[in-house]
Order: sequence, then structure tokens, then C-alpha cells
Amino acid sequence: MNARHAEAAARFIQNKAQEEWHNETLFLVREKRDRQAASLPEWEQLRQLASQIKMHTITHLDNYLEQFADRAEANGAIVHWAKDAHEHNEIIYALLRERQVEKLVKSKSMLTEECRLNPYLISKGIEVVESDLGERILQLMNKPPSHIVMPAIHLKRQEVGKLFEEKLQTEKGNSDPAYLAHAARLHLRNEFLTAGAALTGANFGVAATGDVVVCTNEGNADMGASFPKLHIVSMGIEKVTPDYKTLSVFIRLLARSATGQPATAYTSHYRKPRKGCEMHIVLVDNGRSDIIGHADHIQTLKCIRCAACMNTCPVYRRSGGYSYTCFIPGPIGVNLGMLKSPGEYSGNVSACSLCYSCNNVCPAKIDLADQIYKWRQQLDSLGKADRTKKLLSGGLRYLFARPALYNTALRLAPIINKTPRFLIYNNLNAWGKGRELPVFAKESFAHMWKKGKIKQHP
Amino acid sequence: MSTKNDILSSIRSHTVQTCDMPAIELEAIQYPDTVARFTEVIKSVGGSAIELQEGEDINRRIRSLYPEAGVIASNLPEIRIATVNPDEVETPYLLNGTALAVVQGEIGVAENGCVWIPQNVKEKAVCFIAEYLIILLDKSRIVSNMHEAYEQIRFNDNGFGVFISGPSKTADIEQALVIGAHGAKGVVVLLTTV
Repeated sequence: MNARHAEAAARFIQNKAQEEWHNETLFLVREKRDRQAASLPEWEQLRQLASQIKMHTITHLDNYLEQFADRAEANGAIVHWAKDAHEHNEIIYALLRERQVEKLVKSKSMLTEECRLNPYLISKGIEVVESDLGERILQLMNKPPSHIVMPAIHLKRQEVGKLFEEKLQTEKGNSDPAYLAHAARLHLRNEFLTAGAALTGANFGVAATGDVVVCTNEGNADMGASFPKLHIVSMGIEKVTPDYKTLSVFIRLLARSATGQPATAYTSHYRKPRKGCEMHIVLVDNGRSDIIGHADHIQTLKCIRCAACMNTCPVYRRSGGYSYTCFIPGPIGVNLGMLKSPGEYSGNVSACSLCYSCNNVCPAKIDLADQIYKWRQQLDSLGKADRTKKLLSGGLRYLFARPALYNTALRLAPIINKTPRFLIYNNLNAWGKGRELPVFAKESFAHMWKKGKIKQHP
Repeated sequence: MSTKNDILSSIRSHTVQTCDMPAIELEAIQYPDTVARFTEVIKSVGGSAIELQEGEDINRRIRSLYPEAGVIASNLPEIRIATVNPDEVETPYLLNGTALAVVQGEIGVAENGCVWIPQNVKEKAVCFIAEYLIILLDKSRIVSNMHEAYEQIRFNDNGFGVFISGPSKTADIEQALVIGAHGAKGVVVLLTTV
């Protein structure tokens, strides 16, 4: 699918009230983030450190990964290496099959989304239960997340109420969030207690200690990992951090940047398997090691998946996560998609006004907007440039290079003001879509200057 | 094993530049009154911190906080009102139905209301499955920020530890905050003087 972002966004904004709500709600999260940032005098220093620590770690990743794997194994965990999504899925399925696990309870993991683990396991007959409330709602709807931290942010309470009426037998017409969340608590508690294995993602892997660190507000990762005999961790190779000194920098930034909280309710450190139980860590490359060699885009590997870039992005806020074709939306998703497959995901690079707000909120200081700009420069060579815009750009270049022609055009420009709308606002003028052209002045500045009509103030 | 080598060699072959580790020397925020700040933050995240008065009976205090609690789980010898010892349950599943758990925290963090709880019970489930959670914390062990906390945290042989900052929560439905997602619906940090 190579749908253009603008087309999908046009569908989202048909519901004006929903668009407004989405925009305002995400901006409130952005403002909460700002208040947290302002409460720490060292905030900018933390961002700078986070950026430098990540660059150091990514450019010494072989050392840190080996160290992490050695420590984790010394702690009693079993480490697996997966080159791509398919290997990742196969490893996990083999673990489940060998232990005759019928039901897997999961906490939130964008990596398993990337690898499309759920459909794979379901096709093999495994029951997969998402336990993050937002993820569970979407799983029951058979939909992907539209935001990486607030997966169901595009839904209204009434939609959730209706879904739960059908799936969880809640009261008819009751869409009170507290009531619905409580119903989900009871429903999922039963799932936690009957699952044969738990899978969690990893926010960080600590090389010096072998810890897997998982941050949640709901406590679902811990509820999952506290009961069954098997705990599987799905972890991207870029999640490794050297030690606690570096980890403390990221932990201070993560929740503040993500939701504007001083910390998530739970910051869990899994070092060893529970007594008599197993802990398996699957380290996944899936294209990450290639990105290290990509000087223009290596910085995407600094991402800690906080979603601050989405919450601040005026395009994301007003178009919603489903307008992007990559499984991660927003500025970081635009770039990750292009790294994965430019042919498939180039439709997303227009979803940016180059306002640079994302660069300024990113806790790891990723040059998100610069990268989007660079991808746009490559669209033509990828054969993905918009043909009408290309034609117009070519025409304008011709015009700007010829002063006499340019001046004539400028003199004639006011005609546009009186031209019938259908001649201006049509498919040939991409800039006339969804916006009004400016009113052209009767006389150009250059013309007025030459005629001495411009009065100079002393 | 070969996949491991493939990934590591792919990393090596793509690494063209190397960046130095920065010196992590920052003047992180310090609070003149860490207890006051900790109390304020924990309130803002939906929990509470209460100072136990000198000579006050801890069991009576807990009972007055949760007069209705039936099953109370704790392995702490001073918690005499405990009805279940999580060290003695055969499986973690038997902790289902716990109304209140009382656990020992080791380090409090004033900047974000976190309390470090190394797994000092047989079944860590007790920290998450209980409807309500009380964390005992020596108030002299509250530090200002996470850097200080990470310098001090310890693990024991159980190999698990968690920072808990207030009760479990979700805002996944329309960003409306609901306290009590999967873990404790309420968290009280009882500040003690040793």
C-alpha cells in the first residue's frame, strides 16, 4: 500500500469534532510534558546527555550487546538472537510449542507489532491476549494501535462502551471510563492467572547488569511476568544501555516526555528468572544494524519510543495515527518507514510542515525534521515525487530564472484575483487544495520602488 | 550462535564513526526537604505518604487505613495483622484475592515519588495483585533524584526489583485518568523513623 498521507488524513478530518478533540487532547499531553521539563533546571542537559550516550552506545553496539547477553546468561536468562521478524516469531513460537503453552499474555511491545507476532502465533493456534488496556481494546476490535504510547487515542468512550457490551458483557449504554477500565481489570485478571506464558517488551537492557527494564503505568507487565513459568522478553538491539548511570538519564526523561508524568507507576528491573521458572530474551536486529551505517539516518536509533514527537506534531495531531502507513506514525514513524522501505512508505514524508517542533521536544535530540527534509530531496530519484508539483516546480524554476518574464507575470498576477474559482482551485494546483491563495497586490513592490512610491523614513 | 555472529558482524561492518561516552556530571536537582517533596509528589500521582508518629503502633495504623481489608499479605515480622505470608504460599496464584499487601521499600525518590522495592518475598506477585499496597520506608532513605537512587539500589538473590510511584493507572479511554488498572488501586507509603 502506498496511500498518500493527505488522502487518508482527509478521511480523518471529515469528523470535525473528533479532529478537534484529538488535536486538543494530544496538545494537553504536550503541555504536561512542558511543565515537567520546566520543573528541572537540568532538563536540556539531560537531553544532551541522552543524545550523546545513545550515539556512543550505537557506535559501540557490538561490545554492549555482547556484554548484555553475557550478563543476562550469567544471571540465568537464555538469550536468543533474531536477524529479522520471521526469526523472532519462530523463536517465540518454538518456545511456546515446546512447553505446550496455549495462551500467551502480552504487555505492550512495538517490536512485536513491527514483527507482526500476533497474527503469526494466532495462525499457529496460540491464543494471544494483549493486556495493556488500550491494546486490548484494539485487539478486540481487530485494529492496530494509532499511537505508540496511547494506542487507542483515536477512539471515543462510546465506541469502547459498545465494544465491551459485546465482548465483556458490560452494562448497556455505560461508557464511563472508570467502569469500563474496571471491567477490563476483572477480565484481564482472569487472563493473567490462566496464561501459560508472558511476553513483555523492553524499554532498556542494561549491559553492566543484564537487567531488562520495563516501564508501565498499568502494572500489566508485572502482572504477566509474576505468574506463569515462562517469561519471554522481546527486545530490539538498540535498547541496550551501558549501565545504571546512563539508565538514570533515560528514566528521568522517558515518562516526562511521554505523558508528562514524573515517572511511570512501575519501573521494573528483571534480572533473573523466578525460582523454578524460565526467562528468555530475544534480541532482534530486523534492519537496525544496517541503519548504523546510514550517516543521515543513524540518529533514528536513539529513539526511546516516548511519542513526544507525535504529541507535538501539528500534522499528527490533526490527522491521527491511521493516516500514516507505517506501524509507527508521526515524525519518527515517517523516518523509520523510509528506512524500512522507501517505495512502500514514501507517502508519509509529506506529513510534515518542517516546523521542527519534534526536534525540540525529542528527549534524545533526534534530528527528525532534518531527516524528513532529506528524504523529500530523494523522492524524485526514488520515482516518488508528486507529478503535478514537479511540473509546477519546473515551471517556476523557468520563471525565476528569467527576470523579464517574471516581471511580466507579476504584473499580470492580479488577474488571478478575478479569475473564476474553478480555473484556480482544481487538480492542477496542488497548493490550492484545502487552502486559499493570497490576494495578489495590484502593483509589485519592485514596480512601486522604481516609481518612487516607497517613502523612506530617515 | 551463528545468528549472533551474523548480527554482531553486521553491526561491526556498518559502524563507520565512533562517538565517545560523555562525562555524566550534572548538577541534578536537590530538594532542601526531601520528605516534604516526596509527600507532595506521591499525592500528585494518586498515592499518599504518611509519617508514622513515634511510638505509634504500626498495626493499628494500617488497620485504621484499611478497616475492611480481609486478606492481608506480608512477610514482615512486625506486621502482626497479616493473614498470609507470601513466603509460604506454594504458588503465586494463591495470592489472588489479597486485599492488602505490606512490603518494605528501601529508597524513596523525592523528584518522582518512586520507591525502590527489591524482591524480598518469595512471590513478587504480592506487590501487584493486592488491591491495595502499603510500602514501609525509612524516611531518612529518601534521596532527591534518580541518579542518587541508582547509585544505591541493591538486588538480592531473587533478581527482581521495581520502582513504584503511586497506584496502577490508565488513561487509555479518552485520556480520562482511572486509578487501579491491573495493580494496586491505592498506594500508601508509611514513613518510618528507624
